[in-house]
Amino acid sequence: MDIRFTDCAVRFGERVALQPLTLTLNEKRIGIIGLNGSGKTTFARLINGLVKPSTGSVTVNGLDTVKDDRAVLSEAGFIFQNPQHQLIMPVVAEDIAFGLKNRGLSRDEIDRRMQAALSRFGIEHLARRRVHELSGGETQLVAMASVVVTDPKILILDEPTNQLDLKNRRRVAGAIDDLPEDTVVITHDLALVENVERLLLFHEGRLAFDGNPQGAIHRYHEIAGC
Amino acid sequence: MLTSLHIEGNSLLHRLSVRAKLIALVASSIGLFLSGSLAVQAIAFVIAAALYLSVGLSPKEALKRVGFVFLTIFFLAAVNLFYLSVAEVATLTLRLMALVTFAAAVTATTTISAFMDEITILLLPLERLGWLKAADVSLALGLVLRFVPDIFARYQAIREAHRARGLPVRPLTIIGPLIILTLKDADTIAAAIDTRGFRRQ
Ligand SMILES: Nc1ncnc2c1ncn2[C@@H]1O[C@H](COP(=O)(O)OP(=O)(O)O)[C@@H](O)[C@H]1O
Ligand SMILES: [Mg+2]
Repeated sequence: MDIRFTDCAVRFGERVALQPLTLTLNEKRIGIIGLNGSGKTTFARLINGLVKPSTGSVTVNGLDTVKDDRAVLSEAGFIFQNPQHQLIMPVVAEDIAFGLKNRGLSRDEIDRRMQAALSRFGIEHLARRRVHELSGGETQLVAMASVVVTDPKILILDEPTNQLDLKNRRRVAGAIDDLPEDTVVITHDLALVENVERLLLFHEGRLAFDGNPQGAIHRYHEIAGC
Repeated sequence: MLTSLHIEGNSLLHRLSVRAKLIALVASSIGLFLSGSLAVQAIAFVIAAALYLSVGLSPKEALKRVGFVFLTIFFLAAVNLFYLSVAEVATLTLRLMALVTFAAAVTATTTISAFMDEITILLLPLERLGWLKAADVSLALGLVLRFVPDIFARYQAIREAHRARGLPVRPLTIIGPLIILTLKDADTIAAAIDTRGFRRQ
């Protein structure tokens, strides 16, 4: 991936969510940690253009998130903090096919891609299930399948193991490890980021550490006071 | 709990194409409004009810889905009794009940994505005229169907939270939090629709 933040800041009204920041991300595996409200989600949403910079600019693989916003959306897929909200259609198979509509694909092609996305995560058996009836772990895997089906190059996952029990956490963590796409993972689950190439720590809207996981986690403990 | 308006099954209505059902719905609406005959409305209601009960809903669930609309219709009927004859009120009431029941039967037997695909196709001529974006309109309609059960579930959750805290359960006190929570989710849902590339242009 090639993500560049140039003097980029984000304000919501009076409130500064992210202080000006200049940064380039080139690694395949990036992690983001920090306390609640420290700016992690805002930073991640900048990457696929869901949040626009108040000042400065962000480019993703050469595309500007303001000028080329549609192209950026298909370049970087986003898996939301509450995966329930990104499942739009009521049945799993329909939901996964949802992102493929309006692309002029044939029914067979849509079906083939949908099956491929399901089998990537080993959830073919969930195809006919209602999205309401899935467990937390299943919901997360379906959400991931629904995003990869449109072939984004970069995947951003916002607290993907947040609401999961230990077993599902392992399952989802395994699925994330196996992703061939470049990933940016936001998490409070430090096990998920202890092996990333680069770990960013946010604190009160600023980048408080940028480097190896050990250093970032150490600094995180200092900030949290424990 | 009501988790989706669509139910799986293999009834006559399930097997009919979405287009046939939508055309039948529109045609019967026009037909019933043109007819002033009480007998015609009564027969239409019986047929609609038979179709509706054949789709595989339990009678209780079936009644729950249309109950609120029926109550509204009865209320209107009661008001109308002051102005119209009993026969006229009966005709009006049965007509509305027949159409609501038929619409409920169509909704229960049509998947949202099939419905959206069909609406998109039907609206394409209007898109060519530059009046609207067919996919956007179908998405809007699909989302309404999709999130009705969610909003219903949330209403119940808020009501339970009120009960648990010993607060009086009044629709007005529940509507506030309901709207705020729904709008917050709507924001995320809109973002999800955009990131998933449904709206390409
Ligand atoms: N849409 C918004 N409107 C107003 N304030 C926001 C919005 N999104 C985030 N914020 C604020 O920005 C700050 C950073 O939020 P966020 O990026 O969600 O933090 P994190 O994901 O690290 O918990 C918080 O103080 C939050 O209240
Ligand atoms: Mg967050």
